[in-house]
Amino acid sequence: MTDLEDAWDDIPSGEPPVGAILAEGRTRRRQQRRRPLMVVGGVAAMAAAFATGIVVSQPGGTDPTAAGIERVAFQADLDPADNCADLLAEYQRRGLDLVTAWGWGSPVVGYDTTMPELTTAQSRITAQGSSGTGTNVQEAGIDEPDTVKTDGKHVVRVRGSHLQVFDVTAAEPELTGSVRLPQISGGELLMSGDSVIVIGGDTNRDTDYAAPAGTRVLTVSIKDPSRPEIVDTAVYTSRIIAARQHGSAIRLVLADGPPALDFVTPDDDVTDEEALQHNRAVVESTTIDDWLPYDDSGSGNRPLLKGGRPLVACDQVAVPADSPGLDTVSIVGFTADEATQRSAIALVGSASLTYMSADRLYLADHPSGECFGCRWLDDRTVTQRSHGTTHLYEFELDGIYAAHVASGNVKGMLADRWSMDEADGVLRVAVGPSSATGNFNSLVTLRRHGQKLQEIGRIDKIGVNEDIKAVRWFDDLAVIVTFRRTDPLYTIDLSRPDRPALRGELKIPGFSDYLHPVGDDLLLGVGYGDASATRVTVGLYDASDLADVKQTAVVELGHGHALAPDDPRAFTWLPKARTALTVIQKDDDVLLAAITVGESGLKQRLTHVEYGDDAHQVRTMALPDGRVLLITGENVTFFALS
Amino acid sequence: MDATDEAQFAEFVRTHWSDLVRAAVFLGADPSEAEEIAQSTLVRCYTKWHRVRIADNREAYVYRMLLNQLRDVRRSRWWRSRTDVEPDAHVDDASDRIVVSDAVHQALDSLSRAHREVVVLRYFVQLSEAQTSATLGIAPGTVKSRLSRALQQLAGSEHLVELAEENR
Repeated sequence: MTDLEDAWDDIPSGEPPVGAILAEGRTRRRQQRRRPLMVVGGVAAMAAAFATGIVVSQPGGTDPTAAGIERVAFQADLDPADNCADLLAEYQRRGLDLVTAWGWGSPVVGYDTTMPELTTAQSRITAQGSSGTGTNVQEAGIDEPDTVKTDGKHVVRVRGSHLQVFDVTAAEPELTGSVRLPQISGGELLMSGDSVIVIGGDTNRDTDYAAPAGTRVLTVSIKDPSRPEIVDTAVYTSRIIAARQHGSAIRLVLADGPPALDFVTPDDDVTDEEALQHNRAVVESTTIDDWLPYDDSGSGNRPLLKGGRPLVACDQVAVPADSPGLDTVSIVGFTADEATQRSAIALVGSASLTYMSADRLYLADHPSGECFGCRWLDDRTVTQRSHGTTHLYEFELDGIYAAHVASGNVKGMLADRWSMDEADGVLRVAVGPSSATGNFNSLVTLRRHGQKLQEIGRIDKIGVNEDIKAVRWFDDLAVIVTFRRTDPLYTIDLSRPDRPALRGELKIPGFSDYLHPVGDDLLLGVGYGDASATRVTVGLYDASDLADVKQTAVVELGHGHALAPDDPRAFTWLPKARTALTVIQKDDDVLLAAITVGESGLKQRLTHVEYGDDAHQVRTMALPDGRVLLITGENVTFFALS
Repeated sequence: MDATDEAQFAEFVRTHWSDLVRAAVFLGADPSEAEEIAQSTLVRCYTKWHRVRIADNREAYVYRMLLNQLRDVRRSRWWRSRTDVEPDAHVDDASDRIVVSDAVHQALDSLSRAHREVVVLRYFVQLSEAQTSATLGIAPGTVKSRLSRALQQLAGSEHLVELAEENR
């Protein structure tokens, strides 16, 4: 330790730049004061100016409470329930609005018990560079679950019902250990130090057809790579919507539908009216146990029943008045080394679309998509009752804690989680058409002002009558690809969030539905060269002049299907080799395309790696020493770039 | 902020500057980056001085801001080519301070983020257990257990030998 202590003393830090700090601080404070004055007038402006320094946190950071200990989960316009009786009354009120002679709808649709793809649900919109554990993720610094993870020395993967650990320090990857993952389906992994978190469906619960799919979360220690060991099991009644990791903090967004109740349906002996009366009475006789999400961090061997330990306390559940829906969406935080210490808060409604940056989490109403193992209800409640408006909720994150700090809404619909992005405290959203908008797409910027997410800028009419195919966000730039017959690629300058400006538009045949930045203002686009989307192409775009984006090179990979647009984890950018690896499926054949960005354009090489459905298991990841791992259904091997 | 406050703040900057820069390096920043981060942390302290000044636990507040700044830097680092520089790309730079910081990074990179933060704040910055616990938002008991595990891990680290050689 003394060496490090010496290093501590040796680090030269120069003279503190007191003058520069004071000058910059003064400028910042003046700006802080000016902003609200432009919005509000008169006496109110004085109050707002004073309050700004306290309520509105600076861009990019959680504003710690002075003591650093006090936690208030709902700091803005959402009021948590005072007690369980009030919360139950609210659940029942909403339930009575929705219940019909056929129960929660007609006809009742069975549960889809397959696991959601935790990170990629139908995402045609884009992601970015690989995370520290080798996964191509949406937001730098925020890790997402995948079937394979690496810490640079080991590779862990889920294969069937087992977790396998490989040592990848030698010339060939070597399987060192394996552990069975009991009662979990479709497991995906996060990694924190020696701990691997496995998140999947709870098969103990899946067997009960009447209950919604639950979620099972295992913590596996790989301290001894030859003997991976399950050290913690947590079971939730809720289905999983999203899982993210920032540093050591792991965050799950879970959703519970309304409870399965003893409803009747009309038949020869029961009239519609009688059935409705019965079903309403059933809703009125529910108890709070029927509605609250539950969890259990014991052995996980017993089926988890309502009436155990609620995941959230009643006074940590808020029911936003303006958001319809009966899902209870919980935000749960914990760390890998203390998986049993959990923090949870919840919203009732239909806001389950999740986007997370380093210190903020946003929930947005979701029309129907990010709803797995779920039912008709989400669809109906949002699309029919929200009148084409999407509600947005901003949470500040602090370690394992989340606090609601602002709400807002925007007309139109968000396609998926890639439609949202946050930079410097500004939320930017790409909005598709709804009944409340015209038939075009918009980009809207919002900033928190007090407890409101206020719209500060917008551009409308991006791709009239066209669909958004891909969005890529940068600090001060958005690139949006829409599609109908040609592929307009729009560049939008976001350097002034209150005045987003359309800078350029590039039209080329076909479309790119996955964009990846490769540095030097270049983007790679994976897509199709023809409007019927059968010929895979990879194009290189030069965005150094936003007003004049050029396609500088393009390679044809022939007939087939590129996986990256649906699952960005099937794409890897290797900065050193300036090479992209992307999985292509051609009929029953699975190929890995290596696309190298060189001085003279793009070079391609196709390698056969797998057959059939295992295409979805194919991953590539770079180790710190530059070697590239290829993970297929059966094998973990090294992949030679040339 | 009046003149008295500003003088108080300036004193605060002089007292904390070195440790903030060192902590940023120990938490993974380059030396020049570390100075930028320390500076932007202190600018934020200035704008929030009315709260920092009265905080029971000023150090916790300031180091929390430092951690947030570090995270922001990591997050926004990647577009416009800076990002595509892999971590070892600056090895060529032969200046002393890079050598020291590289050695520190090698020695500490084996720790998990959580352990590293505890070691830096508690052991090197020498925050109290309560301050460290408030900074990281974890229980004091956790500070203790993480610190002991992290120190154990460091004691067995071969990188410390290299560090000793480089410092000679």
